[in-house]
Amino acid sequence: MQTLQLLLSGLAQGMIYALLAFGYNITFATSKTLNFALGNFLMMGGVLGFVLYGTHHLPFAATLAAVVAVGLVGGIVLQKVAIDPSLKTKSSYNWILATLAVGIILRNAAEVFWSTDDFKLASPLGDDPVRIAGVGVYPQELLIIGVSLAIVIGVETFKRRTIFGKAILAVSEDKDTASLMGINQKRVISFSFMLSTAIACISGLLVAPVTFVSATMGTVIAVKAYAVSIIGGLESGAGVLLGGIVIGLAESLTARYLSTGYKDIPGFVLLIVILLVRPNGIFGRRSVQKV
Amino acid sequence: MTLRLKRWLPLLLLLPLFIPLLVKSPYYVNGILNRVLIYAMLVASLDLMVGYVGDVSIGHAGFFAIGAYTVAVLTASPALNTDSTLAHFFQLPFYVAIVPAVLLAAFAGFLLGFPALRSSGPYLAVITIAYGLIIYTMINEQEALTNGTKGITLTPLAVHGISLSGRNYFYVVYPTLVAVMFLMRNLVRSFWGRAFEALKYSAVAAECCGISRAYYKIWAFVLSAGLGGLAGGFFAQLDSYVAPNTFAYNFSVEFLIALIFGGVRSVLGNILGAAVVVVLPDLFSRFADYRLMVFGTLLLFVLFFLPQGLAGALRKLLSLGTKDRGGDRAALEAASAGIEPVVAPGKSSQPALELRKVKMMFGGLTAVNELSVALQPGRVLGLIGPNGSGKSTTVNLLTGIYFPSSGQVLSFGEDLTRMKAHERAERGISRTFQNLQLFAPLTTLENVLVGLHLSFKSPLWKVLLGLPSSRREESSARAQAYALLRFVGLESVAFDTAANLSYGQARHLEIARALALRPRLLLLDEPAAGLTTAEIEGINGLVGRIKQAGISVLLIEHHMDMVMAISDEVTVLDFGRKIAEGTPQEIQANPLVVEAYLGKHVTSQVVQA
Repeated sequence: MQTLQLLLSGLAQGMIYALLAFGYNITFATSKTLNFALGNFLMMGGVLGFVLYGTHHLPFAATLAAVVAVGLVGGIVLQKVAIDPSLKTKSSYNWILATLAVGIILRNAAEVFWSTDDFKLASPLGDDPVRIAGVGVYPQELLIIGVSLAIVIGVETFKRRTIFGKAILAVSEDKDTASLMGINQKRVISFSFMLSTAIACISGLLVAPVTFVSATMGTVIAVKAYAVSIIGGLESGAGVLLGGIVIGLAESLTARYLSTGYKDIPGFVLLIVILLVRPNGIFGRRSVQKV
Repeated sequence: MTLRLKRWLPLLLLLPLFIPLLVKSPYYVNGILNRVLIYAMLVASLDLMVGYVGDVSIGHAGFFAIGAYTVAVLTASPALNTDSTLAHFFQLPFYVAIVPAVLLAAFAGFLLGFPALRSSGPYLAVITIAYGLIIYTMINEQEALTNGTKGITLTPLAVHGISLSGRNYFYVVYPTLVAVMFLMRNLVRSFWGRAFEALKYSAVAAECCGISRAYYKIWAFVLSAGLGGLAGGFFAQLDSYVAPNTFAYNFSVEFLIALIFGGVRSVLGNILGAAVVVVLPDLFSRFADYRLMVFGTLLLFVLFFLPQGLAGALRKLLSLGTKDRGGDRAALEAASAGIEPVVAPGKSSQPALELRKVKMMFGGLTAVNELSVALQPGRVLGLIGPNGSGKSTTVNLLTGIYFPSSGQVLSFGEDLTRMKAHERAERGISRTFQNLQLFAPLTTLENVLVGLHLSFKSPLWKVLLGLPSSRREESSARAQAYALLRFVGLESVAFDTAANLSYGQARHLEIARALALRPRLLLLDEPAAGLTTAEIEGINGLVGRIKQAGISVLLIEHHMDMVMAISDEVTVLDFGRKIAEGTPQEIQANPLVVEAYLGKHVTSQVVQA
């Protein structure tokens, strides 16, 4: 029974990584950049949730709406401040540094204007385990799994079924050709950033009740989400779910059978090993060099 | 400035030695100045990786931590760590402990080098983050070795009862920094530094110049990590205390900011960047709390408005960058006067190039099918065919960019089929690139110097120390490079950046760089593409002179006039197959060739029917 609970917690944690990884994928597909600030958007979602729902006792729906709104606005700001100017310069790594800078600004802002401590946020579904078929389950964990699956499946369906979604796919495939077909690629890229940061903020709100809320909560989650994203291949939408499950389970098993201090290690090691074997991730496309 | 004055300039480096005598505050000398100097070493180590090799590392705090903890663990005494969980006390002196500190960090860099060979850009950046976090976790958790979060207290440095800590620590740190910067400068201004940059700007072209990507990248990581470890080792003695929190993720990001802010590829920039990170929080008392917000904003500003950083802005302000090259040019003119730029390769009876039933498949597509070709030494073989006939694939197969699905590639009797690009370059096979793969930010002369890479024989330690023998090697290579530029008619733009060359000049530079390898076999991949008729004439003459020197040439070209005028034999490809071979005259009369280029003659078909 305990093992089942353990697996479920691992699964829930893994879904958070998957969600953030999905956020990386969305913007990587359209802009070919990796957003090193995304973990701090997750943190913003968590902190905002704590302030509005935990401290000021706003209704959960209002909190959620505020978190999503901040995510959407944050995405467009990030794109205008860090991504667009970076892509205009010729350097191949400026956007790495620019998004890192935005991330560190967000994190430090949370420390200065909010707090440097860790807080616990109550789950809107209650913090007592419910018994399902004899297994004690935290409702928040079920919520995480449900919402994550819904978001990933929802966005993937949107991309395949709607005309705007197909525009995203077209820009991911080939920006210039998409432009020639009359697609406004700038708008598509802006949209992808808004979507990505909104998802990150939601995942922060989701994860807050099962971990602590703090200004630094995004950093380590972000790295494990890279691992997930890379296992899934940066351009594969569905691979992230599998990657999330693998890392989430590996982590809760390590925490249980080795030590909680080492629980971050399997994700990191897996990341390095996978990139050693497959430099573009497991589901990533192999690029052929042309000279 | 006259040469005599310049010689005495390094004496100025002695001036800072008076600082501890003048400034009595231990806080300013040790807390600020020594810290800046130590951080400058770390920034320099990061610069090697980011500025020269072009790989962003967000885990350099890890190497710094390894250095700091090695020194702390090896020197710690039980008297100062009474309540600790430390299992062993080695109590070695600092100057002994610093050696394993550097070596261990260098080894960690060596390990990081392997994933770095496979991945790059964001993938590698993520790996470095994970790497740094693994090291951070280990330090926190290995309590028997590191005393966990409580940290280790070190014995203040002293030799024979004379204190070398606090203000006096400056006399240890300052000479070390000067030595480090001296070695670093020698390294980056040598063929090593050029190899790093060449790999950054075009890895393919660098490999084809004989630069092994694996060898130089791993060395860069080893040197960078070793230097990071050295800085860490000195850091441990700065406050005589180390704790894991110093080496968290933020620390890596902060140093990346310091590097970019100061300006990459500049010793001055490294020191300025370190100074900003240390001094700014000190100037404003409450600044420490929100310094990362300010640093982050500064980084965004510098990235987009000061791409060369503070050092670059200063250089521009004092207009030091625009040096008068008149003297350099005159010296090179004189030194290169008697040099024969193109040397005849030794005679051989074996074919310069032989393809045996070479086949190349991309998925289900057969790009080259059972191709067999031979090129006799000293001759020019033209390889022609319509677009998509497999010409470029063939060149990539010959230079080790691709490996054939089946078949064999031989040169002068040696099997090349599985050799890497740089190994083929070592065997005298050189190439130009259809889509121009120059090292754009380097000068014309430096581009040719990269081509001369294999002529450098000095071992690393001689290069680092800047010994006269390695300097002589450099100046003779420069003369050789200048002679090659004269051979292709580019000596007037020797000091211009390759990015600023005209298209025709760039094509000539490609050939000069390829010739620098002293090739036995030269592959010219569409050398006349996009050129005017007059420029094509120039290339024609150039290839003629190359042939005269006895170098075998494989010419891939679209301009029929050129191919027919220069080639001894011509091979025609269509859809990856050889459809004809023979002398230019035979090829021009061959109906299959005419058909491949122009299509079937409809009326003749009708008549035949």
